[in-house]
Amino acid sequence: MALDGWKEKLYQRYLVWICRPARIAGHLQTSLPEPGQPAPVNRRRIRVAALQVELRLFKDPLDYADDMHRRTREAAEEGARLVVFPEYNNLPLLGLLPGIEKMEEAYRKKEAGNAGGDKEEDISLTEVFRYMSPAVQTLVHTIFSKLSAAYSLHIMAGSYTLADNGDVVNRSFLYGPSGELIGSQDKVHLLPLEAEWNLKRGSLFPVFDTALGKLALPVCMDATYFETFRILEQKGADIALLPIADMQEYNYWLALRGIWPRLQESPIYGIKSALVGSIAGLTFTGRAGIFAPIEITPERNGVLAEVEPYDREAIALADLNLEALDDLRRNHPWRDSNPALYRRYFPGIYK
Amino acid sequence: MQVAAISMAGLRMNSIEKYRSDLSVLIKKSGAQLAVLPAYSSIVLGLSAGALQPAGDYNILFRQLTGSCGDWNRQFLDLHSSLARELGLYLAAGTLIETDFGHHFHTAYCFNPGGDICCRQRQTHLSGYEREIGLSRGEELRLFSINGLQAGMVIGNDARHPEVGRIFALLGADLLLHSGALEAGFNCWPQVAGMWSQVQQNQVWAVEAQLKGFIANRTFAASPAIIGPCEITPGQSGYLARGYPETPVITAELSNKARLEISQKYPLLKLLNPKAYSALLQD
Repeated sequence: MALDGWKEKLYQRYLVWICRPARIAGHLQTSLPEPGQPAPVNRRRIRVAALQVELRLFKDPLDYADDMHRRTREAAEEGARLVVFPEYNNLPLLGLLPGIEKMEEAYRKKEAGNAGGDKEEDISLTEVFRYMSPAVQTLVHTIFSKLSAAYSLHIMAGSYTLADNGDVVNRSFLYGPSGELIGSQDKVHLLPLEAEWNLKRGSLFPVFDTALGKLALPVCMDATYFETFRILEQKGADIALLPIADMQEYNYWLALRGIWPRLQESPIYGIKSALVGSIAGLTFTGRAGIFAPIEITPERNGVLAEVEPYDREAIALADLNLEALDDLRRNHPWRDSNPALYRRYFPGIYK
Repeated sequence: MQVAAISMAGLRMNSIEKYRSDLSVLIKKSGAQLAVLPAYSSIVLGLSAGALQPAGDYNILFRQLTGSCGDWNRQFLDLHSSLARELGLYLAAGTLIETDFGHHFHTAYCFNPGGDICCRQRQTHLSGYEREIGLSRGEELRLFSINGLQAGMVIGNDARHPEVGRIFALLGADLLLHSGALEAGFNCWPQVAGMWSQVQQNQVWAVEAQLKGFIANRTFAASPAIIGPCEITPGQSGYLARGYPETPVITAELSNKARLEISQKYPLLKLLNPKAYSALLQD
């Protein structure tokens, strides 16, 4: 069922109206600190925060803005210069839709095999994301632009499923300490479920040169593939900001398969933020953390900080040393490259 | 298929005959149709049995070995060829240093149950010290058949380079045989970052043999492992079997049906996005 009837169009305008920049910015302004000058960056000690966000539905975008503010303030008070939010950070905004709880119940029944009902009444999540996109995009930009400027932080706002011309993409955003949008990244490797949803995948891995080093924003499944991090390393990335929303029961080894091995293969720092909780029959688990090549972690385990719970709100904090990373790259004990081998096989195997 | 990873711990190596006898007993007991020995197997045995000239320093020893161990290499290969034939199994004999047209390579050999060489694979990625002692890189990765499974050999430092596993997987590998040698004194994580990680991102099996032994002034010790995609292993750990460094042999039964099912259900390799990889195709 397409969301293009007059009632739906009217409600979509209402969503855009309640998410309008003046309303959101005006609300945040009452509780934000006055913007200050960003402190000088010490490349040997850059404190960063990986947020674990517990999924709950918001009926008012002001409450969502307050929640994003609360998490940002918590990180800023710990001295973080860079804060990373999780993948699918738009899911809490499904609460803005009237009757979403009933819809969620219907999805759960469908998952359980008790579907019933009329097939024509099914609305795909992709359609819902597309429908909400104008409101969500404005809302996200207003919130994170204001928060990053007020706290003089770099904020990776998480990823959002948004309309892009005729398609829907899973896109992460990076904001700078003046509130400017530094850049975005479309998820390049989709989950099978996202492929079923017909999300459009990206084809680029941009790297953004900032005061905190060169930052990259791969999204979740992008960390399943070594190719992502090899390319980011080639482009000089220092820190990969990886939002995840892992749709599986928590298991230590399953969770290890993403960013941790990629940083061992391609020496880069990695910050993993996680969405946890349940909605529409989907359960998300994860442990947000800050990871690095084994050689530059004190316990020689590739972990600088990792939250304990896998299903509740938490924050991981750690200090990154970009000079230690540079030194490892210059004097790496075992890394090698074999261009003749790659020339021989890569063009053929990737066809 | 029953497979075994052998560490060389506990094998008597002060004579070739004793080594042959002990290895034969170990393999027979394992019931394996495929056994994998670790890296540097020829050097450890050659030094212990007096076939190679010892040196106090590891780097000096390797420089000495490059170009001077042809006779011992032939003897080592003949020994394992006859063992494979006698025991009727595929035997990945570990590695040796060999010279070809003035270039020195770290090379692994596998013998089929007829005792013939079914794969010779050179290490393709070298560590800093391997480059220092003058080794050259192989530039080819070859698949070969083991009881209907397509197999590739991963040597030493190649385990830490994901290009190797990816090339093998996209060429159609079901199984990787790893002959490794990691220095003692480290925790488990460098090893997890190697074959375990390659297996998970390529959904193949791996038999990982790690050397337990000494070469000159260096001690090698890491855990042998038989690895598969997390979803089809106990506790979803990715390990079908895992030993301690001093464990002489570990074994496991591989079910390729289970592996194919998980790669169909969750088709990681089909979800690759080559359009995004143009940077990898440039020098």
